[in-house]
Amino acid sequence: MDFSTIVRYSSVVLHEIWAHKYKCLFAFTFVSFIVLLLGSKWPSKFESSATIFADNQNILRPLLNDQAAQSNLQDQARIVRDMLHSPRMLSQVVDKIYGLSSFSGGDEIGSAINRLRDKLIVKGLGRNYIKISFHDDSADQSYTVLNTVIDLFLKESSEEKRSESREAFLFIENQVKQYKDQLVAAESRLKEFNSTNLDGRDIDVEASIARVRQQMEELKLGIDEDRTAINTLTRQLEDESEYAVRQTTSTVYFERLQELESRLQTLLLTYTEDYPDVVSLQYQIADIKAAIEEAGRSDSKASDEEDVSFNPLYQELRSRLSTSKTDLSIKQKRLDALNELLESEYERRKRIAARAAEEAELTRDYTVTKRIYEDMLERKERARLSMTLNVEGQGVTYRVQDPPLPPLNPTGLRFLHFVLVGPVLGFMFVLGGVLAYIMFDPRIRFISQLPLAGADLLAEVPHMSSPSETKRFHMHIVYCTLLSLLVLSVYVAIAFAFKFGVFK
Amino acid sequence: MSSGSNDVKPLFSLSGNKGETAKGDSISSMGEVDSFSNDMLDELKLVYPGMAGQAVLNVFRGLRTRLMKASGGKNFSCLVTSVCSKGGASHIVRNLGAAISLDKSKTSLLIDANLYNPSLADLVIGEPEQGLTDYLSETESGLSIKDIVYATGVPRMRVIPLGGNGEAAAEYFSSRKMVGFAEEICKRYSDRFIFFDSPPLLEASETQILFDIVDFVLLVVPYGRATHEQVEEAIEKIDRSKLVGIVYNH
Repeated sequence: MDFSTIVRYSSVVLHEIWAHKYKCLFAFTFVSFIVLLLGSKWPSKFESSATIFADNQNILRPLLNDQAAQSNLQDQARIVRDMLHSPRMLSQVVDKIYGLSSFSGGDEIGSAINRLRDKLIVKGLGRNYIKISFHDDSADQSYTVLNTVIDLFLKESSEEKRSESREAFLFIENQVKQYKDQLVAAESRLKEFNSTNLDGRDIDVEASIARVRQQMEELKLGIDEDRTAINTLTRQLEDESEYAVRQTTSTVYFERLQELESRLQTLLLTYTEDYPDVVSLQYQIADIKAAIEEAGRSDSKASDEEDVSFNPLYQELRSRLSTSKTDLSIKQKRLDALNELLESEYERRKRIAARAAEEAELTRDYTVTKRIYEDMLERKERARLSMTLNVEGQGVTYRVQDPPLPPLNPTGLRFLHFVLVGPVLGFMFVLGGVLAYIMFDPRIRFISQLPLAGADLLAEVPHMSSPSETKRFHMHIVYCTLLSLLVLSVYVAIAFAFKFGVFK
Repeated sequence: MSSGSNDVKPLFSLSGNKGETAKGDSISSMGEVDSFSNDMLDELKLVYPGMAGQAVLNVFRGLRTRLMKASGGKNFSCLVTSVCSKGGASHIVRNLGAAISLDKSKTSLLIDANLYNPSLADLVIGEPEQGLTDYLSETESGLSIKDIVYATGVPRMRVIPLGGNGEAAAEYFSSRKMVGFAEEICKRYSDRFIFFDSPPLLEASETQILFDIVDFVLLVVPYGRATHEQVEEAIEKIDRSKLVGIVYNH
């Protein structure tokens, strides 16, 4: 809304106020006097207040290092409010102030308690300070009630705290006992289970199976080796027996011949050929050579079993073949035995797996119970400490920081405020009414509202007053001013009359 | 036209400013009675040169100029009607007449056709005896136009009051005699501008009958009395060719 709009509106508003000046004056008077009357009936409110200090700083706190649970500071105001607003507390207050016998029924006591609760205001003031205030029609009453409330509160809070922490300790102790029983039961179940479990654990079975398998692998390799050796030995033995039958005699002679020839060579290095040893040797060599030829002829004719049995290689081979066969047989037996063992281990593993679920359940039961039990045990000790602290008056204590004082002046809206506000409200009412009238009355007051519908607006004719009209206008102004002054004088007079109790 | 006070009753011609220098014969022939004093003009809420509120004078001068322009400089007859009652149509009529009469070469004739709230008679010095309705109801030709035209306290401004025979005026207004009357007063003097004061348009049916005998219709919208719908309805009722414009009256 820009300035020109305000000017336009204000001129129209003034015009309309003037047009309905007596109605406006009446409305102004009516509203002002209503406010004045309201102010005279408005109850004065006396408020008493006290500040309570919630003391949580005690000497034990740093020593205990959070071992003992202490009340949370942030909710002090809420705790105090809950306590003060509790029906138990308030009914005690009502009893102390009025005496319960002065009420005829439970309903009356209830409504008295509700009135008290509405007027009792608890407010947290930053860190440990809590403001408690109470307001009432009379100064004495508000002071008395607040005093009673605070006395009762201080007494209650210490008692309640002690009993609360004792109850907490007893509760936790009871819980600890229960958990201990549970733990013992779980332990015995686990023990029993373990005592009947002969299969051992699955890790043992796995290790055993692995070991058996490894042995079996090694055995299989050994069996393969043995089979190869038997095959080889058998082939060699076949070859060796034939060869030994043909070559045996001449081989003996050849060895003898070579021996003799090497001795001859040695002797020839030292002696001449006519040396008797050399000659002797040459004869021997010739004999041997003749014997070899003889043996060659007789070998081709027939073979002799006796010759064969005399072959050492053959003997050796046979002996080894026999050993190998024995080994193979032993290893086969062992492999069979190991196979059986493996089967039995598999069976065992199956049994262990079947029991593992049961064991896990028992173990879990035991572990959980044990953990809770240990936790409870710790809590129990903390509760015991807290209880001890509270019994000795440590922990959160409430002290009165500012004691309640009898209020001297009423708070809130006072008669003077109403007296001052009355004419202002009356004027605002008139102004608002006229503005609303201008807004909602459909008749055209602004030239901008004029529907031209194509026609020309030729002129805007200002208002003209004849001298006699002007004179009447001035007379009206004087008259209205006098009337307004009269209304205000009556207003002020009535206000003073109320103030000094003429109507009371 | 014969010389002498043909339009004015001899009763008022005694003290008039006769022989006032004027352009036309017709004007110089008009007899003048005593002029109103400034105090009286103020009391009658009439504009005059040298008045205190020059702004109002200028508004009516401007309005006069707009009407002249609309007629192309020729003389015309204009009916002034308000949307609703107490709209100030009479005030506009008498001041338009006064504004026209400021020009020494022009005269104005105000005809009071406002059957229910006649007011122009107070411009006449003395008591007018007969008016428009008397003329129209006279079957015999005993009463001529000049008998009902009265001089006023404003120079060059004449008035035909409503007269004392207001019954059945609607019938008079639609009569042939009314048509003839309108033609005659308009055509007799080329420098005479005719203004009809009429009842509120939306409250009296007679006003619409008068539309036929005038050149222009001027619609007055009063401050804080007429609604948007009423103004639109009034504009609807007026022939577009005759509606010269709207005046917003505070």
